[in-house]
Amino acid sequence: MEKVFDVIIIGGGIVGCAVAWYLSHFDLEVLLLERESDVCCGVSKANTGIIHSQSYWTPYTLKGELHLRSLALFPQVEAELSLHFLKTGALTVAFTREEAAFLRILKERGAIPGAEIIGPMESNEIEPSLSPRVFACYYDPETRVVSPFAMTLALAEFAALNGVSFVFDEEVMEFEGGDKFIKVLGRNDCYLGRRVVNCTGLSATKLAQKSHDAVPSHRLFRGQYFVLDRECDSLVRHVLYPVPTVESKGILVSPTPEGNILVGPNFEPVDEEDTATTFQGLKEVEEGARRLVPSLPLEQTITTFSGLRPTLPERDFRIFFSSSFPGLLHLCGIESPGITASLGIAEYVGEKLKDSGITLWEKRVSPRTAFPVFRNCSFEERERLIVENPDWGKIICRCEEVTLAEVKHAFFGPIPASTLDGLKRRVRVMAGRCQGGFCGMYLPIIMMQELHRGVKEILKSGRGSFYFLGKIEDVVQDNAQTC
Amino acid sequence: MPRRVEAQVVVIGGGPAGMAAALSSFENGARPVFLLERGKYLGGILNQCIHTGFGLHYFGEELTGPEYAEHFVEQLEKTQVEIFLDTTVLEITEDRIVRAVNPAGVWEFYAENVVLGMGCRERTRGMLRIPGHRPAGVFTAGLAQYLVNVEGYLPGKEIVILGSGDIGLIMARRLALEGACVKAVVEIKHSLSGLLRNYVQCLLDFDIPLLLSHTVTKILGRDRVEGVLISRVDDRGQIVSGSEQYVECDTVLLSVGLIPENDLSKKAGIPLCPFTGGPFVDEYFSCDKAGFFACGNVVAVFDLVDYVTMVSTMVGRAIRINPWERKPVRHMLVPASGVSHVIPQRIREGREGFLFIRSQHAFRDAVLSFSFEGREFQAVSVPLCYPSEMVKMNMWDISWPSEEGEIQVSIRGKRVHGIG
Repeated sequence: MEKVFDVIIIGGGIVGCAVAWYLSHFDLEVLLLERESDVCCGVSKANTGIIHSQSYWTPYTLKGELHLRSLALFPQVEAELSLHFLKTGALTVAFTREEAAFLRILKERGAIPGAEIIGPMESNEIEPSLSPRVFACYYDPETRVVSPFAMTLALAEFAALNGVSFVFDEEVMEFEGGDKFIKVLGRNDCYLGRRVVNCTGLSATKLAQKSHDAVPSHRLFRGQYFVLDRECDSLVRHVLYPVPTVESKGILVSPTPEGNILVGPNFEPVDEEDTATTFQGLKEVEEGARRLVPSLPLEQTITTFSGLRPTLPERDFRIFFSSSFPGLLHLCGIESPGITASLGIAEYVGEKLKDSGITLWEKRVSPRTAFPVFRNCSFEERERLIVENPDWGKIICRCEEVTLAEVKHAFFGPIPASTLDGLKRRVRVMAGRCQGGFCGMYLPIIMMQELHRGVKEILKSGRGSFYFLGKIEDVVQDNAQTC
Repeated sequence: MPRRVEAQVVVIGGGPAGMAAALSSFENGARPVFLLERGKYLGGILNQCIHTGFGLHYFGEELTGPEYAEHFVEQLEKTQVEIFLDTTVLEITEDRIVRAVNPAGVWEFYAENVVLGMGCRERTRGMLRIPGHRPAGVFTAGLAQYLVNVEGYLPGKEIVILGSGDIGLIMARRLALEGACVKAVVEIKHSLSGLLRNYVQCLLDFDIPLLLSHTVTKILGRDRVEGVLISRVDDRGQIVSGSEQYVECDTVLLSVGLIPENDLSKKAGIPLCPFTGGPFVDEYFSCDKAGFFACGNVVAVFDLVDYVTMVSTMVGRAIRINPWERKPVRHMLVPASGVSHVIPQRIREGREGFLFIRSQHAFRDAVLSFSFEGREFQAVSVPLCYPSEMVKMNMWDISWPSEEGEIQVSIRGKRVHGIG
């Protein structure tokens, strides 16, 4: 008899991992299936990582409701995951009297102590590089930023530590119904679940359509970004929002917890899952961001990237049980503020599952402890770490000061890294100003040694993303008459 | 607690600059001298440069990179310079405390003199904003050089190289020798970025096409590079629309420039020159902050290692003299028309050492001109000069004005387009 899971989660993005985190508090058998070889490889990977305060919730929507519910859960998550959210505060910038009308709405909507509407003089005082053309700003002290990778990974690690099983490289193709459970047919294997939660981001509507549920396809809106060198870290201290449009929150300039500045995203419709950057898109981001910060040092760009928003026509989340497969819960249209709302979504999913007859018995959980980050340690702490383990004294990534100890840990944590991008998301190797120009010399070799992998099994991310063609002597053999 | 060490000289970086500076400091009587290197071996990037062409000026013979380095390693072994390998400097304070880590622990060097010899790093795809996906197979040329020459791995089979810098040219030949197909070297400028001899020996001799006034405008492929779009660029540097062509490849190498690596210098509050990206230095390669020296590519990217060695040996001579007794700065050298930068930027005596000038464009029948308060006091004829090849002069060949002040250095001549 095959194992039947109480809940199968499909998708290891921020939402799937938040659901796994939430469910791991209860006495349940939970499995998470992910198409890629790691968590946080799709929509969650490419976004601004802002925890929007209650001033920025959208009334009369499910996403707004889950946004507010989520905010209440952050203190719990901070304690359980030992995860750091950087409280930067935010300024919403109005350039005209008309735009300024919206600032009052934000203030009323949030009712946040200490929040206020301030003039150009005051704005300039707290954010000197802000455009002098500002008419007024809404200052919100509660906005926070997080690394989307760090948060997704922390949720996943907590879930793994507390009993959730993870299967990677497994794409779900179809479902089959049964009396007591749903059969999830993957590319490699099939799995039985009493309940199944579809958290597949961009693919969620496709998967829902495959299960014969009537849901419109996602429309995809691409957003492109610049990441600026950590040297610019004093440029802006708050998240800078323009006044939003009906479409999006607009092109932001935001600090990140790692000390970079993130600039973007624009809002452009695309027909397919195209996450390439373009000249025009980046130009648009540049212009949008310069309205806020005219002196923006884009020559200090270390990388650019783009992400996709999976949106439904109603521009809201749609979370519903399948009509063909009772017990299959679809999460469609999870766009912005997906990260902010993720914990609320998880709690909501928990309630839906409970309503459908799943018993949630609370169990004792162990908290996740964060591994030390060498760069953030004092010299005394560093000395102590090195004495304990000399790998701490070996810097592998010079830009981000990442040590061999941290790299090795990333390979053997509760959710181990299996690709170079996986290492990057965990410990920030290759994420600094040289973008792997230096540590790219050592990491593939360390990876071969630590994971006992062959030359051709060193991947950047996806299955075809080989780093080397092979050892020279082997390649030369079958390469003799290429040119 | 961190280990505390008192030092007369701490040299950061064990490449050609650091090795020569440590040697010359020791030979000029400094004690103790420490040389800190993050790698497992001395020699720095020389170790991955297995091609020949090093040492023509300094030794009068053609050596490989490792051979060139070996000469200095042997010299160092004869001294009591204390060499710390596997040691990464994380911080230098304004009062010259050098904090480093290695597998033994945290070290604090209290240094009378700090010599910066950190070299440079490569410009990246992100800095150029090349649009497209972010697949595997995009390497900087120096990284690829390390992987091929030191570790013995081949990055790919069909290669497009962006930028005609020396490492790119040398890698074109290297990969061709290993059986890969180098489809093109693409250069956005209308002249070569590397040495002319490398163009001849690496591209012409191997029938590798060079596309001047072209650039890569998109990288295709999601998992691994599948191809690139290459477009023509007009005289103003704008992409000519409709000129794009698709080239299939599995690897893109970037050889698009080097940047002096001055993160530590910035932490120590050392004034940097906007034209070079490195510290302002005088003829002894001392910085604008007393007790600090900088030499080699951390000051400005030199085209020959021989020059790096020559300038780095100046440090030892200067360390002998108490910084407070050193002659005050008499002249400031400023690049004017036709010149991208001049090293050193400060002149105290103008009797010892060398001057290096990099031109902005390729010129034929050029005149290198020095002027003071609008009056040209020296003009030197240069038959041919390229941005890729520094013009080197001896300090004592220049008749410095007796008054102090700013000196403008310019180059005039006929502009050369193409290879020339």
